[in-house]
Amino acid sequence: MKVPYSWLQSFFDRQLPDVERLVELLDGLGLAVEDVAEAPAAPRDVVVVDVIKVEPVPGATSVLSQTIVSDGTREHLVVCGDPNIRPGMRTALALPGAYLPAVDLQVKARELVGVQSNGMLASAKELGLYEHGAGVIALGRDAALGAELASLWPSESVIEVELTPNRADAFSILGVARDVGAKLGYSYRHPASGLPAGDPDLDDGLTLDVQDLGAAPRFTLRRVDGVAVAPSPVWLQRRLGQLGLRPRNNIVDATNYVTFELGQPTHAYDFGAIPQGHVIVRWAHAGERLKVLNDETIEMTTSDLVIATKANGVDVPLGLAGVMGGANGGVTSATTAVALETACFEHVTVRRSGQRHKLVTDARTRFERGVDPNLQELASARLTALVVEVAGGSPHAGLTAVGKSSVRQPVDYRPTRVHYLMDFDVPRSVQRGYLGALGCKVVERELDDWRVTPPSWRYDINIEEDVIEEVARLHGYEHIGLTDPDMRFVPPESDPTHRKLRERLAALGLQEAMTYVFTGATELARAGAPAPVVELSAPQGVEKGVLRTAIYPGLLAAAAANRQAEALAFFEIGHVFGQEEEERVALLLRGQRELGKWRPGLMGDFFTLKGILESLAGLEGAKLETLPARQPYLHPGVSAKVVWNGEDVGFAGQLHPEVAAAFGLPDTFVAELNLPLGGTRIAFKDIVRQPYAERDLAIVAPIAVTFADLAGLLSAAAGEKLFTLSPFDEYRGDKLPAGTRSLALRFRFRDANRALTDEAVDELMENVIRAVRGAGYDIRT
Amino acid sequence: MTELGGERSSDPRVDEITTEVEAWLESITGVGSFTSLQDLRVRLLGKKGEITQRLKALASLEPEERRAVGGRWNEVKARLTEAIDARKAALEQQALAAQLAVEQVDVTLPGTRPPQGGLHILTLVTNRLLDVFKGLGYEVVTGPELETDHYNFAALNFPPDHPARDTQDTFWTTDGRLLRTHTSPMQVRYMETHKPPFKVVVPGKVFRNEAQDVTHEAQFHQLEALVVGERVTMADLRGAINEMAEALIGPGTRTRLQPSYFPFVEPGAEFAIWWTNPRSGREEWLELGGCGMVHPKVFEAAGYSGVTGFAFGFGIERLALVPYAIPDIRYMYQGDLRILEQFRGTL
Repeated sequence: MKVPYSWLQSFFDRQLPDVERLVELLDGLGLAVEDVAEAPAAPRDVVVVDVIKVEPVPGATSVLSQTIVSDGTREHLVVCGDPNIRPGMRTALALPGAYLPAVDLQVKARELVGVQSNGMLASAKELGLYEHGAGVIALGRDAALGAELASLWPSESVIEVELTPNRADAFSILGVARDVGAKLGYSYRHPASGLPAGDPDLDDGLTLDVQDLGAAPRFTLRRVDGVAVAPSPVWLQRRLGQLGLRPRNNIVDATNYVTFELGQPTHAYDFGAIPQGHVIVRWAHAGERLKVLNDETIEMTTSDLVIATKANGVDVPLGLAGVMGGANGGVTSATTAVALETACFEHVTVRRSGQRHKLVTDARTRFERGVDPNLQELASARLTALVVEVAGGSPHAGLTAVGKSSVRQPVDYRPTRVHYLMDFDVPRSVQRGYLGALGCKVVERELDDWRVTPPSWRYDINIEEDVIEEVARLHGYEHIGLTDPDMRFVPPESDPTHRKLRERLAALGLQEAMTYVFTGATELARAGAPAPVVELSAPQGVEKGVLRTAIYPGLLAAAAANRQAEALAFFEIGHVFGQEEEERVALLLRGQRELGKWRPGLMGDFFTLKGILESLAGLEGAKLETLPARQPYLHPGVSAKVVWNGEDVGFAGQLHPEVAAAFGLPDTFVAELNLPLGGTRIAFKDIVRQPYAERDLAIVAPIAVTFADLAGLLSAAAGEKLFTLSPFDEYRGDKLPAGTRSLALRFRFRDANRALTDEAVDELMENVIRAVRGAGYDIRT
Repeated sequence: MTELGGERSSDPRVDEITTEVEAWLESITGVGSFTSLQDLRVRLLGKKGEITQRLKALASLEPEERRAVGGRWNEVKARLTEAIDARKAALEQQALAAQLAVEQVDVTLPGTRPPQGGLHILTLVTNRLLDVFKGLGYEVVTGPELETDHYNFAALNFPPDHPARDTQDTFWTTDGRLLRTHTSPMQVRYMETHKPPFKVVVPGKVFRNEAQDVTHEAQFHQLEALVVGERVTMADLRGAINEMAEALIGPGTRTRLQPSYFPFVEPGAEFAIWWTNPRSGREEWLELGGCGMVHPKVFEAAGYSGVTGFAFGFGIERLALVPYAIPDIRYMYQGDLRILEQFRGTL
């Protein structure tokens, strides 16, 4: 919300602090200042003139006219390109020598289409006053002929405040003035105070039918006859220009002015558009169409509230309640009488209508935050007075109104709670002063038992803590001290962010990456990952339609983006969203495992990947096994399920050649495991001092028989004296029957209590060999 | 034994011996290989060597003379043995020197190792923050990213029509759930299963359904703190923020609280810390996040009464981007090694 300094000052008799101090003060009140801008003055050597005569340039085919203007003492001939320029208009002439910084233009006397043009009639945009470049600026009659426009339109500081959603009450100059006044101890002047409100008992020729008081709890119309639609006076145009609004005409400008001044959106209807004076507030018919002010035609639903009129049996919508007026029924240059609407609409209704039709207006943003439900009579009186001031006419003494003022529930309040919660003291008398200045009614029942009735404009004060915040806010958060909570709490030891795992993976040579949880169904399919389960309903961005079911597809994309790297090793820890939300770690390896470019390095493979998992398990004292199991995204022959401490936790293997081809990532290895990966508690056993005996044996078995299968068979046959069994060579080739391989194994036997004799070990090995042959496998000699 | 190679004696046999020995010593010194040295050792000292033969030849001499000459020859034998051993040691030294010269490596070549691993900058920043809060006695907890309206909004006192619930701000799922918009749902989840007093922090991913640009990400990280006890005050809140700021930036760091609004706190504030922007070198307020006293409605939803508490939360990305002048928040999630590799060392 923009707050021009002089506008805020106009609410006070006493001088406000300078801009810098005011900014600090607003920040401290919770009206956070986003920006302070200097709205520029009108350029120098620009004077107020009347258009005397407009003639086409002889022989010229363009829209250029030769225009004679007068500054009251002297006439000037200028060539003008505005097709709408008419004699009698009051506008601004940039004299030769003027510089217009907004468009970086040096105005000179010069010949145009054969005519000597002595200056330039300028638009508001060219003058840097507000955004309107079509046509010369139209000034009100208050601007004195011949006056320097800069003297009427000086520069000014405009403070932009970013309002939090609870502070609907501050969405106006009045609201900001109320807070500033309460903080400074200044009393403010309400712009509507003392103005006559219309008398609801008098008939003004208007009838009102509000069909749903829930949607429009308060609705008022005030009739003003004999108005003259014209450009607004300079002061009014200037205020609107500072807010970034474009002045239209005196009546529309007056409604906008009141919207920003009081935070009460208002609207003016051409009385001629309500021929029988009958105004209806009703739900729209399904499919009912309305052409709104921005010239779009919207198709409404039965959840849109409309203002309509009925004449001769025809029901015509005039506007979308609280959002935007209709193209028909608004004020035009031919308007001579108006009906001024000042209403309160229910905020959700307005918000939904605005969203449905994608209309963002100053009225909507105020209604959806919440307009003071008791402001309408005051605002109507203020608007009426302003319309009369700027457009003449005579207001009708009557007021057509529906609805009642709303009453607020008092809040039970203990002034001692300020200290209890904030840990600083605010004397009771000071508290009462703050609350009164904010518009609260305070009844002191006991020393520490008050009833505080918040004002109608403060939707956000409902409980004791809300009142505490008001007192604390006005007193100033800078009074908050620095203490430690007085409590006994010993936090349990835990590592929910898997910090140890992250640090170990980094030390093992993997770089942590973070990728998006949202992805596309096609991305998942391309990576061979499970189909999406959770779909987003309205994501902004086409590739973000679903949530990932696996992490590795994101790492594949990252690997593809770093394809030129000779070695890639990524990991990511994050959530995946299948039937359940799970936390996982994914690993990706590609390229060299040993760096040192000056000699050939070891290329990463399945066993490098498994080795990393083994290192992780080793550090946790956990048991790691990988067993053949297929996954759609893994090479069917290089694919394993990972069993950690006896529990299936995920998969590891080589990326399936089809997936690898889709990403351009041959020879890529991935693993994805569920977290947490638990460890085992340390258990100590004294060392065995007996020597061990070693025997080697090469077993020829079908390729499908795994080392794990053999180990199970052989361990059972060898008995408990076998304490390690490790493969040391694998052979596949022509010397063996097709489909078989030879695996050379080293057995180590030990007895904890005595040295084993060769005979005893030979006996154990015979058992082993018998078991091998019994299973149908051969011994390779 | 200078006498052997020194002045001539009056005994011609001794002179003869001396001449021979000098020739032998010379040939020992001239030997260039272990095999030639071995050959020479056999020729001189072997069973059929020169010395053995000379000693055998002494048998014909008179005992007196035999003793004298024999003594000489034994001295010669010791002298030759010593010379051969010395030559052998010298040859060994030469051989070792040659071997070492061959074995010389270029120590300036790069080492052999796995690829360089490392942590993500957001993990580094999070770890740092968690260290601070663990040191202050906080428990660390995490929670789900896919949440319900109840935990993300309703139980946190967001009114049913609050604008934050708009699809423009929140990723809703087709089955009516949502990606959490803040870490605050964990406040509710934690309170459901724990009794005060406690101090917890919640790091985690959060999501906003908005168009992405250099300063806006649809996915980012927050850290949330929640402290509840018999009487926890706003001064305790500021104290906690101040301690965090001092731990991050250094002693004497100032903190500022200004009134603000979040539905789940009352009174509410936003907080900033006074720091020297490492990029510009300017001292300024770094706006970090929101905070306040836990709203009574939140306690009500948790079934708590007779307690007060504070909560604060802030974005982690900001603490990574601002100090290192990272120009684009989207760098965080692009997996580009040229970016990721830069985050080594201490924060």
